[in-house]
Amino acid sequence: MPGSEVHVTATGAMVALFIAGAVGSTLWWMLHPPPSYVQKIAAKAEHELERMVGSLIVVFSPEIDSAHMMVLAAKLARGERSELLALYIVEVPYTLPPDAEMPFEERQALDALGAAETIANKSNVAIRTETIKTRSTKQAVLDVAKREKAHLIILGSFREGKYSGAPLGRLIEEIAADAKCDVLIGVEGKHGTLLIDESVQPSSQAV
Amino acid sequence: MPKSSNPELRRSVTPWGSFSWGYSDVGADIFVGLGLVLAWAAGASNVAFLFAGIVYVCIGLAYTELAATYPVAGGGQYFVMRGLGDIFGFIAGWAVLLDFTIDVTLFAWTSVDYSSQLLPALVNSVHPWLHFTVVLALVIGLCLLNVVGVRESTAFNGVVSALDVVSESCILCFGFLFAFRPHLLIHTMQFNWPSPYQLMLGTSLAIISFVGLESISQAAQETQRPASIIPRTSVALILTILIFALAYSNLALGLQPWHPILDAHGHPQQFWQIFPNNADNQGKAVALLAAQVPYYGAFAALYVPVLGAVLLLISSNSGVFGSSRIAYAMSSSNLLPSIFQRVHSRFRTPAISIVFFSTIAVIELLFAAAPALYPHVAALYGRFFHGENGLEFLADLYAFGAATSYSFVFLGLIGLRLTDPLSPRKFKIPLNVPFRFRGERVEFPIVAVIGFVGIVSILLFTLRTHALGRIFGPSWLLLGLILYLAYRHHRRLPLLRSQKRDWRSAQTEILRRAGELELMDEYVANLKASDERKRRTA
Repeated sequence: MPGSEVHVTATGAMVALFIAGAVGSTLWWMLHPPPSYVQKIAAKAEHELERMVGSLIVVFSPEIDSAHMMVLAAKLARGERSELLALYIVEVPYTLPPDAEMPFEERQALDALGAAETIANKSNVAIRTETIKTRSTKQAVLDVAKREKAHLIILGSFREGKYSGAPLGRLIEEIAADAKCDVLIGVEGKHGTLLIDESVQPSSQAV
Repeated sequence: MPKSSNPELRRSVTPWGSFSWGYSDVGADIFVGLGLVLAWAAGASNVAFLFAGIVYVCIGLAYTELAATYPVAGGGQYFVMRGLGDIFGFIAGWAVLLDFTIDVTLFAWTSVDYSSQLLPALVNSVHPWLHFTVVLALVIGLCLLNVVGVRESTAFNGVVSALDVVSESCILCFGFLFAFRPHLLIHTMQFNWPSPYQLMLGTSLAIISFVGLESISQAAQETQRPASIIPRTSVALILTILIFALAYSNLALGLQPWHPILDAHGHPQQFWQIFPNNADNQGKAVALLAAQVPYYGAFAALYVPVLGAVLLLISSNSGVFGSSRIAYAMSSSNLLPSIFQRVHSRFRTPAISIVFFSTIAVIELLFAAAPALYPHVAALYGRFFHGENGLEFLADLYAFGAATSYSFVFLGLIGLRLTDPLSPRKFKIPLNVPFRFRGERVEFPIVAVIGFVGIVSILLFTLRTHALGRIFGPSWLLLGLILYLAYRHHRRLPLLRSQKRDWRSAQTEILRRAGELELMDEYVANLKASDERKRRTA
């Protein structure tokens, strides 16, 4: 049961205001230290990344295996709220007419783009898919990138079995060389040799 | 194949994390200190807090400069060892260890006192054995939790600290807005001014409301960009705690209670008058004050005891792991036997250290609880120690340990300014007198001298007014010194002199590990320039 009347005094109100203001401003000041040199570098890199991944294209084709890069692309797109396009290129050889039916390649395209959609959905990212038939994969990728005003083209890669002057694949290197936007090439580590311990001999060898 | 480097502590403590490490330690102090100071300093409680607060600001600034310049685990003892030498580093560290062990008992004790606001069965004067058993169980429980490696996370500390900052700000804002009478404050100060003895005692107890800045230094090694962040978190902590302490003491003296407070004869009392000669009330002052705030008090009465109990328990826990950390750091510097560095093979914690210092905390608890448990011990305390109660006994020793270690920290700061002028100081205490010393330009800190005089006077107040503190405190230091000398003799290390150490390499490594690369470059450049100057002079 209340035992006293409440008397609001000017002094009390001013002290209350001072306490709230002083504690609040002190904590705000503490939580906003000036950035250090390395933090400035990191902030600049983050800004660059935001610019870089505004619009993403992930490219698939029989020669470009980007399935493993799709997860990364989806996470990037989610983090930066980017537009994501999965593009499958079917290259029509000159021995066939431009609109020739290529059921096997088209089936492969459906599989690749379906998997891309599943990955994007899992990451809760909106994705568009597109299949293009073309005479030149490189030109098709560059044309779509121009049309979409893409900031980043993502290409998966695998090492060629023998040295051909283009360790990442000739097509990939050509796209990377000619694209007017950033290109991210992902090479699967399982094809590398760096971590293989050569001292260990296989337990059984073919005779 | 190249070998990987030694793993280092991950720097994961953010500015708020660093603040909450300190706050969970210092922030809890006002919950303990307010009632004790009101009990002794009466109408001059705000003056006692002001004097202790000024000294605390000096201490805070000293710690801020030192922790930002030398961001290593170890805190005060490391700074003193580096500035004054091994034996003084030991004394400072040993005094801090006393504080940490007291911290365990004192805060577990007051945590139970705050709980008693909602659970009356825990009131010490009514059920002393239950109170003692619960405090003992808490101390043993915290010891076991630390041995098996369970600790409250920085995130938990952060949440509790945030809740408490908001809660205390609300109590004070609503209190000043609705229940503060300026003329009552003036009246109380005029007519209830304490005797010089009581004022000295109150002031020496007020310093315990500001103990725990050590925690920020302790966490320096895990703080991101310590040289930049620690000055901010320390200054913010100093200001926040100072505002709270001064505001609480003034509000308590000028508070118009919302519920009438009557004495045994049915006469109305002022709020502060419920504390003298009442240890139960002294242990839960903030909860009692919060309950007297109009409107907000109805809500605060329910949660402040719980929040206070949790915060005090966290502070108690910081005593358990803080003591083991300090002992570990002292042991690494050959100030304590290597047994304190030994890590449990299964739990990977310094189990021996934790159990050893928890046992000391239990012994302190026995001394504190004895008068309430056994009437003949109370008579003994009454005869020889002015009848101090358990809470006062713990507070005495807490004030003694803090005043001793802080005195050495000021001397350590002055020593380091003279012997290590080349280390870059991103934060420097204001008011310095520049002069040349051993060929280098040094700056003598005036504030450190003011702080030293202030803290030594508080130490003298403690020795003069605390009958138990002046016996147990120096005895603790004497026991430590005997152990130190015996250990150094056994290890064939210099007894009174310091071991030779390469501080230059150590400092470069400290800054590299702290990620303060610009400061490291500056330090290396300073060293080169200094060497060049000396070569030319030679």
